Amino acid sequence: MSRTITLNPITRISGFMDIEVKVENNKVVDAKSSGLLFRGFEKMLLGRSPFDAIYFTERICGICSTAHSVVSTLALEDALGVQPNENDKMLRDIIHGWEFIQNHIRHFYLYTLPDFVLTPEVQPVSSAGLYDLRLPEVLNKKISEDYLEAVKFSRLAHQGLAVLGGKAPHNHGVFVGGVTEGLDASKLIHLKYLVSETKDFISNRMLEDVNIIAEYYKDYFNMGIGYGNLMSYGVFDTYKEKEISYVNPAVLINGQIGNFEQIKITENIYNSWYRGETVQDNLFGSFTQDDMNKAQAYSFVKAPRYQGHPMEVGPLARMILSGNYENKISMMDRTIARVLETKKVIEIIEGLLERVSFEPVGQRQYDIPDSSRGSGLKDTTRGSLGHWVSIENKAINHYNIITPSAWNCSPTDSKGVRGVIEQALIGTELQNPEQPVEIGRIVRSYDPCISCATHVISDRFKPVEIII
Amino acid sequence: MVHEAVRCIRAGEHRKINAIWLEATGCSGNIISLLDATDPDILFFLREMVNLTYNNSIMAKEGEIAFEEFIKTLETEFILLVDGAVALKNNGNYSIVAKYKGKEITALEAIKMAGEKAKYVLAVGTCASSGGISAARPNPSESVSLSTALKRDVINLPGCPCNPAWVIGTVAHIITKGKPEVDNMKRPLLFYGVTIHDRCQRRSFFDNGIFAKKLGDETCMFKLGCRGPITRTDCPTRKWNGRVNWPIGGNTPCIGCANFAFPDGMEPFVRY
Repeated sequence: MSRTITLNPITRISGFMDIEVKVENNKVVDAKSSGLLFRGFEKMLLGRSPFDAIYFTERICGICSTAHSVVSTLALEDALGVQPNENDKMLRDIIHGWEFIQNHIRHFYLYTLPDFVLTPEVQPVSSAGLYDLRLPEVLNKKISEDYLEAVKFSRLAHQGLAVLGGKAPHNHGVFVGGVTEGLDASKLIHLKYLVSETKDFISNRMLEDVNIIAEYYKDYFNMGIGYGNLMSYGVFDTYKEKEISYVNPAVLINGQIGNFEQIKITENIYNSWYRGETVQDNLFGSFTQDDMNKAQAYSFVKAPRYQGHPMEVGPLARMILSGNYENKISMMDRTIARVLETKKVIEIIEGLLERVSFEPVGQRQYDIPDSSRGSGLKDTTRGSLGHWVSIENKAINHYNIITPSAWNCSPTDSKGVRGVIEQALIGTELQNPEQPVEIGRIVRSYDPCISCATHVISDRFKPVEIII
Repeated sequence: MVHEAVRCIRAGEHRKINAIWLEATGCSGNIISLLDATDPDILFFLREMVNLTYNNSIMAKEGEIAFEEFIKTLETEFILLVDGAVALKNNGNYSIVAKYKGKEITALEAIKMAGEKAKYVLAVGTCASSGGISAARPNPSESVSLSTALKRDVINLPGCPCNPAWVIGTVAHIITKGKPEVDNMKRPLLFYGVTIHDRCQRRSFFDNGIFAKKLGDETCMFKLGCRGPITRTDCPTRKWNGRVNWPIGGNTPCIGCANFAFPDGMEPFVRY
């Protein structure tokens, strides 16, 4: 006998999400991820000044806004033929680095842990009464105390971002040509202090905490596995020195590592609420029109594919592709990789701070060309983020965004190939279908950023979600 | 004000009031900004000032049992805080925040359910206050402000995001002295009474006609499109993220993110 379980709202992610699974004999046999990215930003941007794309697209997302500022800036620098100097590039990477730290600490403690640990007795974050919490009291108490500390350290990470970026969320300091604010002795020592405090917490508490969880939930090394195809656009990948480098653009398909080539990205809209060519291969000019009357569609997220493959993106993909983690993929490996990456990134920030010099930033007045186009592709907190901008008459005339969560949360495509999270849920055994905690745990291990999500309902179709 | 609020609660003069923080059509940036609060921080806010019963981003519960907390709160005295605009597309029967007893609950419905019963309603951030970036032309989701969706008195706390001190300070006022004094746009004068320009640390450059020619210059940003002269917030003195910096301190123009006309009426953000 089969039954359908819908989980809505999936709390402790950014935005709203609806997951529907079909269960037979307590085993998931089908899954639909309705996480849709459509507040219409790509439409809103038409006709606006290209410079405004930076502060505008940040506002797609409150938890990863810096990611959009970095990638839209890269797209504009490509279109304008601008290169930041080495010093400013390092400052921008420090800002981006703090965004990783803020996100990862918050995701691990505030979003992930209540699934596994008895969290502090503060409403509404207490997990008291939740199902399948396995830790003994003494370990619960320890991790619960670290949860409270994590509130402070994630806040300090955003403070580090604001020292150079003006404010967070929605920073001002990342701009075409690099950054807008240089370093001085006072800011340097402030940032070094923040690194020292945060690094201590990550190395001595966060790593220990994830190992405890892994010890008590060993079964999760065999759950949430999925296709095993991984991708990264690269991040902290422009330096010669090893201490400040992380991961180069790469893909891993069917066990084979290969070079990443932008031209191999397509977007499939078969199950998405859009009219247009089913396979969209021109990221600078593909035209789609939203259409909720499309019979089979169940998502406003398009299905990005690389050579036709759905690709997992995020910390685990990066750690494996960069040789920092064994090629093991599961819910628990994904969570461990995120914590290990947090340590890696704080060390990179530390290394960059050793190298940045005190000099005025290299800003100048930039001219917008009458006509141009550019792309920005970079890995950010949750995975591979791409912005593609086209400029005509000095204004934006086409803008395309493919977010990491689109890669991970995509619907099934026209060939019947499921999205990454959908596939990872297949085969999951539910201990107790009345309390299907496995689903939320697996979904959250991808850190979905379904920000700005709203579900759409029509008379004819099941509810779907509209995001952004 | 915060100290006074806590003193009152501890002295038994006031009890912690229940609160619902509902995320609607926005980026959830205002709850992240609240997590960034200092002096007091979010833990103090949750422990000493309000009993937050519902918030999608941080609550431990999920699915139907999470939404039950929302329903239960409606029978008590509570404050409603809304983060995000209200999308009206498709006859208003559009955005769904939860599934409860087999029925989808739209954001609009949830806002009306809670908004009609709440003792105070706070629009947190520019999207909730005036539509904000969610309602930017051509407004694909037909988003409107909380005041438009809800025919009742609302306190607007615009800002993209809202500075956490503006939220916590307003709640502090509510639990000690009741509703704070507001201007004609329903913004508390305590935080929105004076323009950025009036208190800008770079005002003397403006007065002496020394203007930045590009981002990164350490003088007045007026000629690059700074919206400080028409934006009423205490950013120059309050600053952000533990008072460490703010956009003009970062050598960039204010983009007027706390204005009701943001973003369409504030662009271009940078004028070269």
